[in-house]
Amino acid sequence: MAKKWGQFIRKWMTTNMELPQDVMMDLPRITMIGQIHIYIENHRGLIAFSDKELRLLLKQGQLLIKGKSFVIKTILPEEILLEGKIDQVTYISE
Amino acid sequence: MKNLWTEFFWGIITVETRGKGIERLINTLTRNGIIIWNVKRHGSESVTFKIKLDDVKKIRGAVKDSDCKIRFLRRSGMPFLFKRLLKNSGFIIGAFTFLLVIFILSNMVWGIEIKGADPETEHKIRKELDEMGVKKGKVQFFLENVEAIQRRLTDNIVAITWVGVELKGTTYHLQVVEKNEPDKPELLSPRDLVAKKKGVIVDMFVEEGQPKVNIHDHVKQGQLLVSGVIGKEGQTEIVPAKGEVYAETWYITKVTQPLKSTFHVLNGNEKQKHFIEIGKWQIPVWGFGKADYKEFETETNTKDFHFLKWKLPISYTNTTIREREQEVRIYSNEEAFDAAIIRARNDIKGRLSENAKIKGEKVLHKSVDDGKVSISIHFQIIENIAEAKPLIQGETE
Repeated sequence: MAKKWGQFIRKWMTTNMELPQDVMMDLPRITMIGQIHIYIENHRGLIAFSDKELRLLLKQGQLLIKGKSFVIKTILPEEILLEGKIDQVTYISE
Repeated sequence: MKNLWTEFFWGIITVETRGKGIERLINTLTRNGIIIWNVKRHGSESVTFKIKLDDVKKIRGAVKDSDCKIRFLRRSGMPFLFKRLLKNSGFIIGAFTFLLVIFILSNMVWGIEIKGADPETEHKIRKELDEMGVKKGKVQFFLENVEAIQRRLTDNIVAITWVGVELKGTTYHLQVVEKNEPDKPELLSPRDLVAKKKGVIVDMFVEEGQPKVNIHDHVKQGQLLVSGVIGKEGQTEIVPAKGEVYAETWYITKVTQPLKSTFHVLNGNEKQKHFIEIGKWQIPVWGFGKADYKEFETETNTKDFHFLKWKLPISYTNTTIREREQEVRIYSNEEAFDAAIIRARNDIKGRLSENAKIKGEKVLHKSVDDGKVSISIHFQIIENIAEAKPLIQGETE
């Protein structure tokens, strides 16, 4: 109950105070440059990585990126820059 | 996001990891503050990525706790480049030595060519050059400059009138003009000898021709001295008259000598400055500060460096600043007269030919006026007054 109450407050603040949602609600911010780059902020770590697939842990659920010839250009605790040919980005909620 | 190219300076290591849970390992590494980039998957069990050289120590602990094994594949960046450079330093030392040797050789004297001198004079010149240190195999930097060599050769070797010294690359080219060039036999056309000036004949030496005057004769300017027409009446022949006719001639010279004269002398104080010039920039090497002389003369000597046939934009300049003082000399009347007479003599000598003699001199007039001494001197000179005048064929029979 307390958790939901907190969620509600945050949602209310972002909608009424025009604060960016990724800051307020710990959501990932994803920037894509065409098909070749994807830049994800606010992730919680790698789960799986191969040249065709990248699975990232989020605060809620996971993010699955599929494509070809993936290379992680940079990885920091909460940021990741992926290069390759990105075909799809999928949210997997548990 | 950070620019990663700066890591090149500190060294980059490519790491290969094998095993299970590579993703977990990467997560731990990033959380420990290790920057990882270029993560690539090779097959199912191998991932390569790059880390900074500094982070190699930090990585070990994390790797021990995981199920992975790591291997360092490639080292790149400046530290490794530098290491390799040290290992191959022989090559670099060789290259530098090569350049240095060429540089030194380009600044040596490799030849001295003397043109226009006969063997004897050439030998003298070579000896003189040897004394100056201008020899094959000497470094040009330590030699005197071209002008000094030229001056010294002209001063010390009597047999040459003029020498042109030129430094072309590594060779000195000397163009010599000798004094005693063999006289070319003159092809004379028929002529008379006439008087150049009026005077009294004191001596005659006629090689060819008919003398028309005698010793003690008073001649006027343009008077016939030696005729080119010889032979008896009716059987005349025309020859080029040749000979010398010495006569006493007279000159009057007027000289004014100021009693007070100022001139500059160097008092021996000097300051040396050394510069290295690179292009337009002058970098002082030694001798700093300004010379606080009121009056001074500056002498500049520049030495260039060469590389093969090219002149390098680097040169060495030595500047000498010498203090100058103004000195005032005040003559007494007597001294001023003496000085004026000496000047008058020098003046007359400059106007006469070499074999003229001063027979006598007489001061005609002296005066001191307005701080100046004026004198006029009458000179008696013995000189050759013969002058050629061509005979025009049609005039004589």
